[in-house]
Amino acid sequence: MDFRTQLGSELPALRRFARALTGDAALADDLVQDCVERALNKSHLYDPARPLRAWLYAVLRNIYISGLRRSGRASVVKTVDELSDGEGAVPPAQEEHLSAGSVAQALDRLASQHREVIVLVALEEMSYRDVAEILGVPLGTVMSRLSRAREHLRRILEDRGHTVLRRVK
Amino acid sequence: MTTNKIDDWALHAYVDNEVSGEQRAEIEELLRANPELAQRVEEWRRQGELLKHAYDGVLAEPLPRSLAATLRSGGSLSARPYLAMAAALALLLLGGFGGWFLAMETEHSHVADFAGRALSAHAIYAAEVRHPVEVRADEKDHLQTWLSKRVGTAFTVPDLTAQGYTLLGGRLLAAGDRPAALLMYEDAKADRITIFLSAAAENTDTALHVEQRGNLTACYWRDGKLAFAVAGEMPREPMMKLAEAVYDAFEG
Repeated sequence: MDFRTQLGSELPALRRFARALTGDAALADDLVQDCVERALNKSHLYDPARPLRAWLYAVLRNIYISGLRRSGRASVVKTVDELSDGEGAVPPAQEEHLSAGSVAQALDRLASQHREVIVLVALEEMSYRDVAEILGVPLGTVMSRLSRAREHLRRILEDRGHTVLRRVK
Repeated sequence: MTTNKIDDWALHAYVDNEVSGEQRAEIEELLRANPELAQRVEEWRRQGELLKHAYDGVLAEPLPRSLAATLRSGGSLSARPYLAMAAALALLLLGGFGGWFLAMETEHSHVADFAGRALSAHAIYAAEVRHPVEVRADEKDHLQTWLSKRVGTAFTVPDLTAQGYTLLGGRLLAAGDRPAALLMYEDAKADRITIFLSAAAENTDTALHVEQRGNLTACYWRDGKLAFAVAGEMPREPMMKLAEAVYDAFEG
């Protein structure tokens, strides 16, 4: 299968990743657009022995991060310290399932380093090895970030009374 | 109870299917003995489900036009060498598969778009336990009339009982800005296949194309006014055989 066709079949997943990474549909689509452009121009840099999806995610994430730096929007990238507990608080949802919007809001409260790792592992189901390559960090860093990300997300969801733990009893 | 860092990592690795065999069995034993840890693992799984619930809808969205255009013609590299390579590869793959001729496909993105939509629709709807279809097979006549009308070309819902599949029903979907029909069938083991069809962009016939994503395979072709894709969780070869039967069923 040629590169363009392979690339095309990865687009739905790439769009999902961009949406979850940024939490902004318009920004996500711009990123995917730039990513496809760059992937087509730089396809010689892709190692076919590695999953195409992981390569595309790495390309997209790099564009996202360098865009934030360039436009001086680095403040958008939250660090753990900057997040106070009250930030982004919304009234607890009443329904059994969290709405897509409130999951997005919960994700928004994570530090960007935590957000990207949990999106890659728990939503995109990438292997730790692929995640380490995408983020350009050692495996141990992936695991410690993942552990903190899950713990933080648990606390955020718990604040809203949406824990499995409570319901199980 | 507190666990040290290594234990915590092992639990994450377990949830994320990064451990197998003996180690997996050991962790499962640990979880049976320790409900608190088991609940933590459940909570992490639930986080994954919530994320999928929130974002999987994106998979079924039609691609923005600008994106489809970039995929088709973006990049400074010429598409030609790729086309020649794809054609050579397709010839190899299609060897021995009688009845199909290999046309030089100049608009690869249409194929990728359509097959991608068929794969996404399959992934999302075939997994539905309670509401896999909008109109059930017991209203087959209505299903056929309704979907033919919406798609804009009359078609017959194929009978695939000879292939071991019974009709579950169908639903209306979008393929970009066009209405599309999704027909779902199930075999005796409850494995499902879907047929995705919509009005074709151009009134031309094409050869069979195969598109794979994970365990899913889709076969796509255009025939006159309609574009068809058959999708299911099976390898390339049986899917191509099935696609040929579906093609015959639509022709007949």
